[in-house]
Amino acid sequence: MAQEFNFDRAYSDYLYNYNLYRESYDSYRTARETFLKYQTLTSKNEALSKTKEMLQKQDEVIKTYSTALRVKLTENPGLSSDEQNILFLNLDNEFAWFRQHQEEINKNNTLEDLTNLSEKSKEQYKKTEVLIYETLGAIFAGKEISLREQISQQIKSLKEKVGEIRLKGDKDTSLAERWLLEAENRLTQSQEKQFEAQQNLSKIKSSLNKSRTYNEAQASLEKSHQFLKEANSYLKEIIRELKNAD
Amino acid sequence: MPIEQDFENLPPATEKTAVHKKLVVFTSLFGVVLVLLLAVAIFTGFNQKDSSQSTSEKPTPTTAAEFKEEITSPSPYATDAALLKIEEEVENLDEKIQTTDLKESGLTPPALEMGINFEE
Repeated sequence: MAQEFNFDRAYSDYLYNYNLYRESYDSYRTARETFLKYQTLTSKNEALSKTKEMLQKQDEVIKTYSTALRVKLTENPGLSSDEQNILFLNLDNEFAWFRQHQEEINKNNTLEDLTNLSEKSKEQYKKTEVLIYETLGAIFAGKEISLREQISQQIKSLKEKVGEIRLKGDKDTSLAERWLLEAENRLTQSQEKQFEAQQNLSKIKSSLNKSRTYNEAQASLEKSHQFLKEANSYLKEIIRELKNAD
Repeated sequence: MPIEQDFENLPPATEKTAVHKKLVVFTSLFGVVLVLLLAVAIFTGFNQKDSSQSTSEKPTPTTAAEFKEEITSPSPYATDAALLKIEEEVENLDEKIQTTDLKESGLTPPALEMGINFEE
């Protein structure tokens, strides 16, 4: 029976290929050092073979990693289909670039050619890295958006209930109404922090330290998440208040 | 001056040995009793330690009851179906919020050594 291709499967493919890459990188290092030391034809051939293998595996890591990200994006409920499609398209383009690059590595048989091909992938990976961070940011933002929408839905339901109780006049609803306002405030604050995170993510392309810029965006998202936690805890307070007599 | 010894006043040799024997027997008995008491004390101590260990290894299973504030004076809405439904959804949402992973450290971009060279 064919195994379902989900995120777990894609992720384990990536980890498997990453381990292969690390092993091939060590072999490349050894072969390179031997060649530089002895400069023999045998050591040159060995260096060529190990370099080819390592570069192939490196491309495979990028391909499997971008596939894992793609699947993760598919399983994310909060993003609009337009946002998803743009990221899908970009991830697919990166995948295609590295697949093509693997074919070129296969066709080339000199260390000079491989060095040039390696320079090409180094340049390309700078763009890939930006896309990776943008996609990760979108995945986390999607989670936040989805949770915020669900909280917003519960606020709406509670507002209706509180309005109904106020009309009946058999319970004081002023405290519940104040909590509702607080919950709404927290949702707004959560949205603001998410906006801040998105602004940080948009700076990644020009950032010299991409990882730091990404971490700053992630810190804003975590604050955004904290506001969601607070908003939901207020909803629990409102329910408790409504269930208790004055 | 010659030293004189009053041999008549000396206790007889057999009497001296008997006293000595009694002393030895008494000391031995005392020693044995002391050792026994020590052994009993050590044995009891070990038993107590063992029982305390077995207690910590096998804790009494407790049912971790989730804390819920008691409603001492319920309002007319304490059993309201619509409110209970919202409560259930809010609780589910709370669990989702608490378990959301905003780091996904496994998805950190792979560490790759880009670029090669064959120059010393």
